[in-house]
Amino acid sequence: MTGGSSPDGLNRRDALRVFGGSALALALAGCAELLGGDDDVGDAEEGDVPDEPIEAGLQTFREGAPAVLGVQAEYGAETAVGRINDNGGVAGREIELDVVEEGDEHLENYQQFVDEGKDVTFGPISSGGHEAMVPEIDDRGVINVATDGTVTTLYEEDFPDTTYSFRFQNHDVMEALAAAVEAVEILGADEIDTYAGINPNYAFGQDEMEIFSLGIQQLADAEEVYSGFPDLGADDMSTHVTNVNSEEPDVVFTSCWGGDATLLLQQAQASDMLENTELVVGPVLYGSANDYEEGDLEGPIHGGSRNFYWDQPATDQWTPAADLFDEVREEYDVIPTAHFMSGYGAVTAWATAADKAVRILGRWPEQDELAAMLEEHGFFTPAGYHTMATDHQGYSNAHFGELAWSDELDAAVLEDVNVYAPEEVSPPPGTTSRDWIEGW
Amino acid sequence: MVESVVVHTLNGIYYGFVLFMIASGLTIIFGVLGILNLAHGELYALGAFLVFSVVGFLAGLIAAPTDTVTAVIFGVVVLAGALAAAAVLLPVGAALEATFVRPIYEREEVYQLLLTYALLLILIDVMKFGWGTSPVSTGTYSGLNRIPTTEVLGFSYPSYNVIVILVGIAVFAWLVWFFDRTKTGRIVRATAINREMATAIGVSTDRTFTLVFAMGAFFAGFGGAMVSIGPSDAFLEMGLDPLVLSFVVIVIGGLGSLKGALVGALLVGVISRWTVGVFGLPQLELAAPFLLMAIILLAKPEGLYGTWGEIE
Amino acid sequence: MSRFTVDRDGETYVRPIEGLELTRRQAALGLVGLVLLLAVPDITRVTPLSFSIIHQGILFGLAAVGLNLLLRHTELVSFGHAAFFGAGAYGAAVLAHHYAVSSGLVLLVGGVLVATVVALVVGYLVAGYLDIYFALLTLAFNQVLFAFVLQSRYFNFNDGLAVRPEGTRPLLLGLELSPGAYSVILYYVTVAFLLVMLFAMWKIVNSPFGRALDAIGQDRTRARFIGIPVERYVWIAFTISGLYGGVAGGLFALLQLHVRPEPVLFVFVSGEILFMAILGGVGTLVGPVVGGVVLIYLLRLARFYVEYYHALTGIVLLVVVFLLPKGVLGSLPEIGDGLARRRREPGLLREDAGSVAESIRDGAGRAVSTVRIVVFGVK
Repeated sequence: MTGGSSPDGLNRRDALRVFGGSALALALAGCAELLGGDDDVGDAEEGDVPDEPIEAGLQTFREGAPAVLGVQAEYGAETAVGRINDNGGVAGREIELDVVEEGDEHLENYQQFVDEGKDVTFGPISSGGHEAMVPEIDDRGVINVATDGTVTTLYEEDFPDTTYSFRFQNHDVMEALAAAVEAVEILGADEIDTYAGINPNYAFGQDEMEIFSLGIQQLADAEEVYSGFPDLGADDMSTHVTNVNSEEPDVVFTSCWGGDATLLLQQAQASDMLENTELVVGPVLYGSANDYEEGDLEGPIHGGSRNFYWDQPATDQWTPAADLFDEVREEYDVIPTAHFMSGYGAVTAWATAADKAVRILGRWPEQDELAAMLEEHGFFTPAGYHTMATDHQGYSNAHFGELAWSDELDAAVLEDVNVYAPEEVSPPPGTTSRDWIEGW
Repeated sequence: MVESVVVHTLNGIYYGFVLFMIASGLTIIFGVLGILNLAHGELYALGAFLVFSVVGFLAGLIAAPTDTVTAVIFGVVVLAGALAAAAVLLPVGAALEATFVRPIYEREEVYQLLLTYALLLILIDVMKFGWGTSPVSTGTYSGLNRIPTTEVLGFSYPSYNVIVILVGIAVFAWLVWFFDRTKTGRIVRATAINREMATAIGVSTDRTFTLVFAMGAFFAGFGGAMVSIGPSDAFLEMGLDPLVLSFVVIVIGGLGSLKGALVGALLVGVISRWTVGVFGLPQLELAAPFLLMAIILLAKPEGLYGTWGEIE
Repeated sequence: MSRFTVDRDGETYVRPIEGLELTRRQAALGLVGLVLLLAVPDITRVTPLSFSIIHQGILFGLAAVGLNLLLRHTELVSFGHAAFFGAGAYGAAVLAHHYAVSSGLVLLVGGVLVATVVALVVGYLVAGYLDIYFALLTLAFNQVLFAFVLQSRYFNFNDGLAVRPEGTRPLLLGLELSPGAYSVILYYVTVAFLLVMLFAMWKIVNSPFGRALDAIGQDRTRARFIGIPVERYVWIAFTISGLYGGVAGGLFALLQLHVRPEPVLFVFVSGEILFMAILGGVGTLVGPVVGGVVLIYLLRLARFYVEYYHALTGIVLLVVVFLLPKGVLGSLPEIGDGLARRRREPGLLREDAGSVAESIRDGAGRAVSTVRIVVFGVK
């Protein structure tokens, strides 16, 4: 089953079977009410499980420009931990979550967490930081579930055999290809002759542009007319906007996020860029949902929302998403974005796997047992169904829709959301993304 | 194509004036006090955060612009807000100078660097305490763009950029007037050229120095405020890159030279924009200002307007 | 009277090697320092201190020792030393990543060579400059290098390169080691390099070449008149100092096993290396190492203990500027004397408190009056 069908018709036993058989998994999927207050149903025997709480660490960007994403991940992880503890913990063990600013010290943060005796760590947001951490994680043997850090080649090519390192959020290829597919869906392959890119000047932006180029060339045989890389955290992108205006490409692709996304759209509006192109697609544009103003979103701008958009499936049919949305709005006064789910899902992946391991083993699992359990582990969140594949990469639906303004929410929303299943936008196991796209 | 070269040049001039507003304060402080103020970028950031609060308050008093007249009123109010935010930097700068900087004028240069670096770190946390850790946005950019300038230019160009250019010219004109025509300005210049002589004719160097530091802080804050009312957010550590670029600007122009800072800023602005837009070398965007600085320093070590340690 | 001691002016000096004479207190301190240095792996095992952070601190400190040659003797402030640290780190990383070189020694040598070449080139260009121009020119070259690496696919942009030839750790002393053994052996390799390079620095400083650098630092024109080839000597000193940065950077790459541009090449890293030298004590040989450990510890781990960790680091630096003008290590003798005096005369403590309070009152008063002047003008 996917997140698309409604669980309303399920009875308790069906629900428990579908959600992996435990109250905890049900609670994290956002369906705790199905238990009807009988909250020890399906829980593990707690005989050989230690009493002390689980110590967990999260590193994320809490400060400065990238905090737009990082703080959402922190809220997400906190919310998941809150739900776990409200439902009696993981096999009776509550989680204590320490959060630290990731900065440029990803490796040091992980080492410090391990030195402090953490049972599990989450984060980071940075892909370079994540890359530096993976071998260290395997050496130290304490599981890390990355919230983000989505560079594709990481698990495909660099570390195909990692044991303890996992990543929940969809990788680059899935979102950059979803952008290419979305562009073709909206305009039609015949209508796309030229494209341009404005992407942040670092590995992630370079990667996204390269994959989008591969995809759009395969799908629409389009030609690149401009590709610019403004500095991350830039205070001016007018040069790139001017270049797009003079080339008038059919599609503009941008993987700018956070303050860069708002800066780009604001300057694009001020220079009428949206009148000089048919479509702007950006896989991370919805990450700044809370920071846009109404005027920023005029014109054909399609934003991605990675593996979670709060209104998908529509909240009037899917109560877990609606409940989560209300809870986050009340608790933090923000619209949850995909980065919220990065934090929520990373914690959920680990906690549901640990819960399952306890039920199977009848005791608390060792790190290697838990790591084995996480492979091919499937679980639900309010975003729908997720799998952690054998390559240690999480796979979920990718979301794309037209950015629009909602007066009611006083924030950006997505309209006409397209949902792309993982197999549509990521290669089958054992194939690298670049080979796969070139074979289209 | 001709038009796009014009637009790229305008973009460069706009960015150059942003840099000039930040660098002018740095060059004044260096020219008179001989201190390279590493905390200058954080004073700039402080201005950006302050204008968020000031404009947030003022925006409650006026309506969002709907037509030309209200747009102009909106623009005037926002600019007043930027000035008010920068004005807060006057006492802040004065207090920093009197408390921390004054005791170390006689110490070696490295201690001055270390001290201003310490102030940089402390100021980051002051802002963290005041405004939290996440970026904030004044949300005034689109309103400012409603002020019509298209008629004047003959083609569509963001009004905010035009405003920044005009304000930048005004800042330069005011500084030239201040140092050339006012008594206080001349006293400052006299102190910069010869401290002992200035003291001998009865000038209080302490007060002059405090005044200059406060002025430098004011212009840093004003630069930050002008950036923050535009499309950029205010965020912690936003001061690091502008600080480093201001070094480039004042070195190219000649340390302590106002004219030099203006020319240096415009050169850096235009050349970095041309690198991407006209020459088509986007991979050099980041390095361009530093290459320019290295080349100019190697060819003309004193910078374009080689003043050393005095305002001109 | 043994071979290792001398008596002069009624004091006994310890003389571990020809030409180096230490007071008894200095010798004792040095010995304690050496024992502490060697015991770091054990100390960190039984305390919550972080082994790898101390190791990192020593490496940055070693770069600062190199920088101190310029700072202390030729009185040149380099604001671009991260260029050499980064070149050393990237030199090793490129060999490991693109050429699958597995010997730790070869990686290190490669890194050092790259750094030395970079230092030769930059040094040639900047040797004739003074003061702020020297500082800013070194800064410019540093940033050019940073921008170049950051925008290059060869260096994998900001994600950087792993220092894991064929996916495993480099070999140390020809051995393939477990993670724990690797870090301890690498630490002792670092200590060996540190001791040898400190000794070499001491030799350089006390050689005629070192004296000539002092002369250059005091007055270039005079130095030129007495026949010192000023630019060439500055160039050589600059290259030596870059070599120190390269060794430190190469070892850093072996320690972290992954090199990214921001932590090793960004211009503020240059500032940090400079401040380590001042923090530890410019006037001392070993001070920069102490400064390195202290500053790196603050920058990397203060975030785990306090919310306002930038300010904490800032305050520590303020204390050094105002209360320990000779740096942590440089001020030890005075702190020792002062403490000893106060043990004899406890009354002095009250005076201390009084003078601190007074200087705070003075500062506040000054601030208030200048703010008044700025806001209301002079009456």
